Amino acid sequence: MSASLAPECTEVKERYDNCFLKWYSEKFLRGTATTDECEPLFKQYEKCLSKALKDRGIDKMLTEARDDNRENDAEHMQPKR
Amino acid sequence: MKIFQQQAEYNYSWEEVSTSNWQKYGPWNEKTPHVIAVDTLSRTIDPQTRILRTERLITCKQSAPKWVNTLLGGHETSMVYETSYVDLKAKKVTMCSMNMTCADLINVRETCIYQPASSSPDARTLFQQRAEITALCGGWQKIKNSIEQFTVERFQQNAVRGKEGFEMVLERAREVFAEQRELLQLKQDSRILQQAGM
Repeated sequence: MSASLAPECTEVKERYDNCFLKWYSEKFLRGTATTDECEPLFKQYEKCLSKALKDRGIDKMLTEARDDNRENDAEHMQPKR
Repeated sequence: MKIFQQQAEYNYSWEEVSTSNWQKYGPWNEKTPHVIAVDTLSRTIDPQTRILRTERLITCKQSAPKWVNTLLGGHETSMVYETSYVDLKAKKVTMCSMNMTCADLINVRETCIYQPASSSPDARTLFQQRAEITALCGGWQKIKNSIEQFTVERFQQNAVRGKEGFEMVLERAREVFAEQRELLQLKQDSRILQQAGM
């Protein structure tokens, strides 16, 4: 797994990534995922990461990127059959 | 604006490719040392469509030549914002990314799609990539053209390395999966032997 841009978050990120990968291959791909059991780990990782993004001023750049990305969401969140 | 497009096939199932895609820039990939971090910003499943949406931030070490760096402001790292959509019913992974660094000078928008290959849908996966590159810096058209051209060439080089690197990840993932299955089988066998009192 890859590192986090914030070294202090890499450990919790790794635990989350491992959990997610197992969930993705064993539950999501088999169509049996009801909840995301990795959510608690994600919350921990997110807490660490969002502080790092704020400290580095990346949060503002992200707001702009998200704004620019709206079309992609509109296009790809719709199922195509 | 310049466009870069390519497609390739992987000799792995869509399930394997879509799983390994999450580890694409991990330590198993020796061809992308410029990717130094991959962070997940959010992850949700749409309650209606069941599409899995993931937002990630990819941090790269800048490796552009000096003339490009001078023109684009000389950042040490560059960041890419990516959203991906996994539609399990349609067996389709779509990844959209854009540059966050130098966004006022150059606009790079890329879409990559992984789908089962029509030649062998259960065993092979088709990868399609399309990128639109637009230099925005005011001034000479000639400079804009050079920046766009440089970026397209980078995409061409990375396409080859990217495939080689991803193949490494896919191969390793298959090995690890086989090892785990074998281990599980051994555990099961030993339990059966124990229960049989042998």
